[in-house]
Amino acid sequence: MKLLRVKTSHFKNCRDDFTIDFVAQSKKTAEDKEYELQEIADSLYVFNTAAFIGKNASGKTTAIELLDCCYSILGDFRLEGKKYSYENITLEMIFYHENYIYRYRTVLHEDSALGNKAIFSNQTLERKKYAKTSIKNIYEDDQFKPVSGIGILPEDTSIVFFVLKKKETRAVYFDSNGEGTDTYQLLFKAMKSYSISGEYLTNIIKIFDETIRGLECIDDHNYRLIYQDKEQVLSDKELIYLLSSGTTKGLLLYILVVASLQNGFDLLIDEVENHFHKTLVENMISLYKDKTVNRKNATLIFTTHYCEVLDLFNRQDNIWISKSDGQVYLSNMYKDYNVRPELLKSRQFYNNAFQTSVNYDELMNLKRKLKKVQES
Amino acid sequence: MKYLIMCEGPNELEVIRILLENDMLLISENELLGLTPYHARQIATAGQVKAELNIYPGEVTVLRIGDTQSEKLRIPQEYTDKIVDVKKYCTKPELEMLLIIAEGLTSEYEKVKSSMKPKTFAKQHIRCGRKKYDNSTAFYRDYFGENPKMLAESIREYRRRNGSHKNDEGYLAELLK
Repeated sequence: MKLLRVKTSHFKNCRDDFTIDFVAQSKKTAEDKEYELQEIADSLYVFNTAAFIGKNASGKTTAIELLDCCYSILGDFRLEGKKYSYENITLEMIFYHENYIYRYRTVLHEDSALGNKAIFSNQTLERKKYAKTSIKNIYEDDQFKPVSGIGILPEDTSIVFFVLKKKETRAVYFDSNGEGTDTYQLLFKAMKSYSISGEYLTNIIKIFDETIRGLECIDDHNYRLIYQDKEQVLSDKELIYLLSSGTTKGLLLYILVVASLQNGFDLLIDEVENHFHKTLVENMISLYKDKTVNRKNATLIFTTHYCEVLDLFNRQDNIWISKSDGQVYLSNMYKDYNVRPELLKSRQFYNNAFQTSVNYDELMNLKRKLKKVQES
Repeated sequence: MKYLIMCEGPNELEVIRILLENDMLLISENELLGLTPYHARQIATAGQVKAELNIYPGEVTVLRIGDTQSEKLRIPQEYTDKIVDVKKYCTKPELEMLLIIAEGLTSEYEKVKSSMKPKTFAKQHIRCGRKKYDNSTAFYRDYFGENPKMLAESIREYRRRNGSHKNDEGYLAELLK
């Protein structure tokens, strides 16, 4: 299963028909096919990496939350525990699964009786056989036919169940807030769920701190930290103080990278630069682009303020610029701008080609005020 | 020091991969930048190569693999200190010469070489099982993957038959064990 496109209205403060399309649009070179793209069906290419960039409060997180919403429905057939209102969200998801293109439509509602859960109304599920020859019209209406054998489910369960059948992680969302001391619990839970051996954790810890030889879980709140010549039993609070919250987040995120690459699910990261040194971000991107590592078509999707990272992207159709005029909307670097591909993308951001610059006048206004305070 | 292998096309990359997998190159995977060879013509337009160059803190020697490679390799300013040497390894005029040699069709090709490119000749005369040569990467894998010794022998034979490379153009055979 691979999500191809999502279109929504009334999702948080997005504009109507807010759309994210993961099918490669621009010319596909042989190099792109090797590093930038994954061929999920004959001539159907989606991205190995995708990025959302924009100013603060422009809606990057909203875009990635929308994807998390879609993957929750496609993975668990439910939507629960999210921080936004579900009321009246209309969703159209188009996904590829086992030689068919599926189109799923629904309107979400909240039901306080169900706690923080969405209920699914007005659901339709249609499909058409994927054909290489009609790739340009992949989203067009003709040939979509209702899926047969759709039964009745509880209202908090989506009918995509009848196609995908088994609950499965379709993506993991790593938000920018972090989980504090609970991170270690999540880390060991992820290792167990995705059958990741302790060797990976040892290797990952050494990326961050070469003196550490291992970390073991004693119980939910106590851990054994192993150095070359000694061991320490620490509570989670002591451990986060010792390792730092940055390293702690890093351990979990790298474990999720391993899980995503090994199982072929997507990884959504909000504000990737918040967690890591630039080299580590570059390393993560390069892992997803290397088909000898990313063998199961996992995709890394992230938001960033860090436009230099985008210089590692060879394409433009996998970069979206988020903007807000009260409502959030997206521009696609390929579809909506005419940027010569040989130009450095970061340079274009600094030149304000995408209207993403920080407000210079307001920065200088602040500086003027600070100067006045010093003078007086 | 690491080696950055930059292959001009996907078929050159497949040939290098087959040699690496079978431990036939003088350089091992561990000595390669990012533990892998790349399909990349220029560094500036190869995001994956740039990512790996950014990650590795040491010096790098570039090994370019291609046919005639008339295009000069431009090294972006940020990597001029890191990249200490660039070497070229060619199979002229086209990589298909290796298939022609492996098939023992060299003298046949010699008769028509003034009017026909090796690629065209190979498409007309070379098969792997029932499949005709189609310039695909899969064909190289099917043809040489099971028989890497034949690949190495073709590379060596190419050098024996082509002593006329320019000074800066090495032979793939120089990279073989």
